[in-house]
Amino acid sequence: MGEKSEVIISLFGILDVTGEVITMWIMLLVIALLSLIVKKNLKERPGKFQNIIETGIEYLDNFFSDILGKKKSRKYFTFLASLFIFIIFSNYSGLIPGVGLTDYVKAPTASLSVTAALGVVTFLFLQISGIRHNAKHYFKHFVKPMFFMLPLLLLDEIIKPASLALRLYGNIFGEETVTEELYHIFPIGAPVVMMVLSLLFCALQAMVFTMLVSIYLDEVTE
Amino acid sequence: MTNSSIIAIAAAIAIAISTLGPSIGQGITAKAAMESIARQPDAAKDIRSTLIISLALMEALTIYGLLIAFMLISKI
Repeated sequence: MGEKSEVIISLFGILDVTGEVITMWIMLLVIALLSLIVKKNLKERPGKFQNIIETGIEYLDNFFSDILGKKKSRKYFTFLASLFIFIIFSNYSGLIPGVGLTDYVKAPTASLSVTAALGVVTFLFLQISGIRHNAKHYFKHFVKPMFFMLPLLLLDEIIKPASLALRLYGNIFGEETVTEELYHIFPIGAPVVMMVLSLLFCALQAMVFTMLVSIYLDEVTE
Repeated sequence: MTNSSIIAIAAAIAIAISTLGPSIGQGITAKAAMESIARQPDAAKDIRSTLIISLALMEALTIYGLLIAFMLISKI
């Protein structure tokens, strides 16, 4: 599905470093730098930059509290907010000029490997959270209404992260491909139409992914 | 009919049919949202966010069809 990522160098012979990995490293540096700058001058009455970051974090907290309730939202905030920030940064990285042209820097979520990895991580997170919260209730919910619904419910647990991964991959890869095709039709001005649409849809997909993960989490921690 | 012509026709039919259902669903959702906003303009903000999220969820079904079309095109 899609193209195979070109391997740039191979660390220790087994870990392949592709263009998406390099973009993720750059994202990591940018986010770490922003956090360090904010952390160093933390004040009781915030200045401009700290105010912006606080507004963002408060918005995320309200977003999760609407679905999960205040206590659970604080408890799982680190995972859910990291997921949101990762997805929104990597979606928007596809719009930066030069990303995607060469093999060296590519948008991470435009490759099925990255979104499938996010799906696997979400799957593990949901199962482990359910077991840690209340192990008996969790295992009972498979056989609760009728015993023969077990295979369907097991399949459902696999399908949920798979649909999340495919939705995210399809949207971002589709945006990229349509922009490229528009460029081949009419090189000046036509790709801008799709890129303006991408501004809206990238943020929307990050929100939809994280909202669905928090709804599944609410379901699984009863 | 050669192999690649059948694959091309299959890709076109896949994307064409997979947009029918979700677009009708999104139209019905938008209609319901507009009626509720007209009835209660105070709740417009909540209704708008729920509307956008429902539209994105339905959009995903069309995207699944688009993915199949991409997979087929790469095999021509």
